[in-house]
Amino acid sequence: MKWKKLGKIFDPTQHKLPNDCTHFAQSPQALVFRDFVRIYFSTRSIDKSNGKYLSHIAFVDMRKNLHDIIRVSEKTVIPLGKLGCFDEHGIFPMNVMRHGDAVYGYTCGWNRRISVSVDTAIGLAISRDDGLTFQRIGDGPVMAASLHEPCLVGDCFVKVIGDVFHMWYIFGKGWKRFSAEAPPDRIYKISHAVSTDGIHWIKEEARQIIANRLGADESQALPTVIEIDSKYHMFFCYRYSSDYRGRENGYRIGYASSTNLTDWVRDDAKAGIDVSEEGWDAEMISYPHVFALDGKTYLAYLGNQVGRHGFGLAELDGKLA
Amino acid sequence: MFKWKKLGKVFTPQKVEGRSWLKEFAQAPASLVFDDFVRVYFSCRPSADENGQYVSYSAYIDLDRADLFKVRHVSEQPILSLGGLGEFDEFGTYPVSVIRRGAEVRAYYAGWSRCESVPFNVAIGLAISRDGGVTFTKLGNGPILSYSPDEPFVLSGPKIRWFNDAWYLWYIAGRKWKMVDERAEPVYKIRMASSSDGIHWNKANKDLIESRIEEDEAQASPDVFYANGKYHMFFCYRYSSHYRGKENGYRIGYASSTNLIDWVRDDTKAGIDVSEEGWDAEMISYPHVFELDGETYLAYLGNQVGRYGFGLAVLDGKLE
Repeated sequence: MKWKKLGKIFDPTQHKLPNDCTHFAQSPQALVFRDFVRIYFSTRSIDKSNGKYLSHIAFVDMRKNLHDIIRVSEKTVIPLGKLGCFDEHGIFPMNVMRHGDAVYGYTCGWNRRISVSVDTAIGLAISRDDGLTFQRIGDGPVMAASLHEPCLVGDCFVKVIGDVFHMWYIFGKGWKRFSAEAPPDRIYKISHAVSTDGIHWIKEEARQIIANRLGADESQALPTVIEIDSKYHMFFCYRYSSDYRGRENGYRIGYASSTNLTDWVRDDAKAGIDVSEEGWDAEMISYPHVFALDGKTYLAYLGNQVGRHGFGLAELDGKLA
Repeated sequence: MFKWKKLGKVFTPQKVEGRSWLKEFAQAPASLVFDDFVRVYFSCRPSADENGQYVSYSAYIDLDRADLFKVRHVSEQPILSLGGLGEFDEFGTYPVSVIRRGAEVRAYYAGWSRCESVPFNVAIGLAISRDGGVTFTKLGNGPILSYSPDEPFVLSGPKIRWFNDAWYLWYIAGRKWKMVDERAEPVYKIRMASSSDGIHWNKANKDLIESRIEEDEAQASPDVFYANGKYHMFFCYRYSSHYRGKENGYRIGYASSTNLIDWVRDDTKAGIDVSEEGWDAEMISYPHVFELDGETYLAYLGNQVGRYGFGLAVLDGKLE
């Protein structure tokens, strides 16, 4: 596959965003309308009580040329969770999917911990106003840690195939201290769950569906799946689990395919996109989101510093095969 | 109304020697009857750390079957280790509920993690013993019952039962964290789930016991016992604020059911209250009912939720 990079298409610092968010536009996720595309992303404000970040969902509406910006969200798309809830300190990312007249938003909610920095779980919020605002179905998550997935359930992508909801998501293998001085780092892998209603999920319970390429300590994130000609194509990102904030060990985009939704063959050589020689995506590329629009296939993704300065776009040259 | 005759305090953790992990507290007693002794599991704590924070372990004592006030043995080790970094039971395994099933003893326990905005979160795990309840192996390093849309946090206080060829788990689920004098206090309600294997659960998603003293009443320790054609539940409840003293502290309540899901609360029947003075004069909580040699016993905690141990009462008459 060959992706033609179209450059950075959204810079959060150039817009006034709700919730006093100033930096970061992470994990872009597209919802296509008749004459525009709404791209959700996670942006950040500062928690005044302690100076830490809070991640909020916002969106940008773009013309179908995916260049011209119509507007950014003017109000809160979904408020953060209540005191002590799984999504109290951030929602990052939110995967959106049309279902009937509604838009389902599957959130990855963040809550801060003491011995480790954070835990996450997956929530569901539903929009009945075409994705302007979302309301949770409850204060708690639809999918959380379980017997063999002890922490960090998140980053989901949901797609209805036939009459089954399929979810690809990540689960934590655990936390590890790579050196005595460093805080603990997390290791996470991609798995799969199914549901008949999008609310009650049956996990494959810690079945890692994508093979490791960087060894057991590889972390894999944000699967995105697109079906073309009876074949399922998954893009995701992966990195080393320590010292990953620079070019060397930072995120790259991987690829796998499946014909039966059970067995996935990883072949990163086919991903067809890598870091640039220089510029906004020269150090790392991550959080891929693939979507189809007017006969073309696009890949939205993050560059250096995991989207601190915005996200970019690439267009498929040819077909996914 | 039932009538419980108080027999006094059975066990005082401060009297135990040579166990650094058992310095204070003997909370949430749960019984397992053997031929000539009764093993009572409970949760205890080592001394607090330099920040005044506790971890909790679960352990057991063996009481002489002929004289329940005679402690024959104190477990050499906690029955469960604390969880690993970032896992749900990293900072505590409390409380525990045990059940014998064939050659196994299963322990359902609440695992504690520490959070930034609120003091803790809790989810329920499972461990299995194949040596009669001396040592247990965790089934996995995550929980078997965790958070869901209507049960967002603090899933604790498991009580495992086997009725009519199915597993039942009574437990509590957090409803809200209430700020009281700048401290986050948990409000929780009694819930249940059922299962065919004791591992995969269907939640009833229902508050089983209506709140009586206030909307934010916190309810705990839903201990269910079958006798004389119906199910009896003893539990404890408290106010949401300032509950660490006598006034708003825990009391024992009662409800009954014929179908396990619809419960009628009637605390006037509970038949046990705080004493005029002594170890259970301020609060009584964490009831656990068990039958032994023709008698029905109630184990429970007194002041400071079991800091100084647990006691026993015996039923005068029948549960009906």
